[in-house]
Amino acid sequence: MSQILLSILTFGCLFSVLTLSLNLQYARGGMINFGIVAYFAAGAYAYAIFTQEPPKGLDQYLFGFGAPWWVGFLAAAVASMLFAIITGWPTLRLRGEYLALTTFAFAEMLHSVLLNERRIGNGSVGLSNIERPEIGWMGIPEGYVYAGAAIILMLGTALVFRRLLASPYGRAVDAVRDDETAAQAIGKDVARLRFQVFVISAVPIGLAGALYAMITTLVSPDLFTAEVTFFVWMALVLGGERTILGVVLGTLALVGFQEIVRAIPYESVRTAQLAKSVEVMLTGVIFILVLRWQPFEALGRRSKKA
Amino acid sequence: MSGDLLVIDRVIKRFGGLKAVGGDAGLSFSVPRGAFLGLIGPNGAGKSTTFNLISGVLKPDSGSVTLDGHNLSLAGAAKIASYGLGRTFQTPRAFPSLTVLENVTVGCDNRGETIASVALGRWRSAERELREKAREVLDRVGLSDRVDDSVGNLSGGELRMLEVARQLVRDPRILLLDEPTAGVDPTLQTKLSKILVDLHAEGCTLVVVEHNLHFLMQIADSIVVLQNGELLSQGSPQAIKSDEKVIAAYLGSEHAT
Ligand SMILES: Nc1ncnc2c1ncn2[C@@H]1O[C@H](COP(=O)(O)OP(=O)(O)OP(=O)(O)O)[C@@H](O)[C@H]1O
Ligand SMILES: [Mg+2]
Repeated sequence: MSQILLSILTFGCLFSVLTLSLNLQYARGGMINFGIVAYFAAGAYAYAIFTQEPPKGLDQYLFGFGAPWWVGFLAAAVASMLFAIITGWPTLRLRGEYLALTTFAFAEMLHSVLLNERRIGNGSVGLSNIERPEIGWMGIPEGYVYAGAAIILMLGTALVFRRLLASPYGRAVDAVRDDETAAQAIGKDVARLRFQVFVISAVPIGLAGALYAMITTLVSPDLFTAEVTFFVWMALVLGGERTILGVVLGTLALVGFQEIVRAIPYESVRTAQLAKSVEVMLTGVIFILVLRWQPFEALGRRSKKA
Repeated sequence: MSGDLLVIDRVIKRFGGLKAVGGDAGLSFSVPRGAFLGLIGPNGAGKSTTFNLISGVLKPDSGSVTLDGHNLSLAGAAKIASYGLGRTFQTPRAFPSLTVLENVTVGCDNRGETIASVALGRWRSAERELREKAREVLDRVGLSDRVDDSVGNLSGGELRMLEVARQLVRDPRILLLDEPTAGVDPTLQTKLSKILVDLHAEGCTLVVVEHNLHFLMQIADSIVVLQNGELLSQGSPQAIKSDEKVIAAYLGSEHAT
């Protein structure tokens, strides 16, 4: 039981980083990113490539640098940032649904490159020689250290975003989202602000990718499908935009629900299939209820006032 | 420090083949430094479109706009604003997710708006001064008791004054106002008229679009009349009031002196 709580906490906080970043892009920046998984994957693969040993035997990948974990994290931040620069530059002038479609397309492109180009990450097999530092740190079990790392990453992301948004910078970002024309009439460089928000918010996503790779010690294309993107969007909708606490609670709830359902033991394949359908239906029902009453958003609001 | 601050030269703008501004020859007029120009004309004459062409919301199909030597046809709206041009819109535009005070402080340029200044926490002292200034401006336009309100609670006239305040806080060198008295009550109109006269005395160049001629003719020192996107007449308020063409096209007989 404590095992499941620990993994809810770890992955809940880890995915909260993604939801927080999406919240910055969407609720504050007014940008719809339907390719969020790509920045996550970029971070995870960068961590894997930089920390793994050089290829040998059946490995088809070209690069492995055997670097320590913190180099992997740096590489992950840079990789997701670069991917955001490359994908953001041509697309951020696009409005609403067009941006959603192009970000989705970019993510699908990255996915198919990772799947088909074996020299990057062994294609569909993925990379599994990922550095996992020795962290029986001060006698604390590994699981707790990872949970702690996820919490720290989440809190750090929340704090940095908060600091950014509580400044005149955040005010300008809000103005641009509210009314571009009026914002330009007071000298706000709309393209610059949107681009910066997009790139800044990609960095924590990349770091979360690195931590994810470190914890699972495996990256492969089928871990980074559009399902991850939709999962994060669901968490954002559940938590209600705009409040940081709401966003985190929404993500924790969604991760918790999935982990609990996964932990139920089944006697046969048939019951497992049944359970899977029930899970999907339950997700739908809970979703409708939450959207109707928005409990997490309300909680977040109350805590903001206090 | 004399000469023309703003030069509109043979500007033409069409919307789907229909000429909105400029006719065949293009619209040309200039605004001398320190002028207080009234821009009038019937509905659909192209006054707001002219403002949009100057401020970069729209780009002319041909012709050029020059502000203090800067060719505006190459600049975006934000760049033009940074040259010291302020403008309001005919339909007031507020930022709904910001408070009344923030709607004004946001008008001030970029002091705290770089990532570096946020990272270093350099914006706080500038921000205090800015808030002070914004409060003063809000007081000037009669919104001092609405400072922390949400803009959703403002009336139409209050929103208009809020937009004026947002431009005032930026200390523009030239300010374009599109129908600033529309929906504004008489007391506030008097206040506004005083603000504009003061602003003009401080050296700000003003261009004001108005249908309220009683308001405009008292404070403007020259008038440009547009009709169908073309320059119909130009001159002092007195000369315009007695211009036969203007009376026929716009003023009607009871305004004639
Ligand atoms: N975005 C647009 N698309 C198409 N036509 C437009 C557009 N903006 C303005 N027009 C047309 O251009 C002409 C000039 O409009 P404009 O708004 O500049 O007039 P105006 O002088 O400001 O009138 P009013 O006194 O009613 O505000 C009008 O015929 C209008 O229908
Ligand atoms: Mg108009």
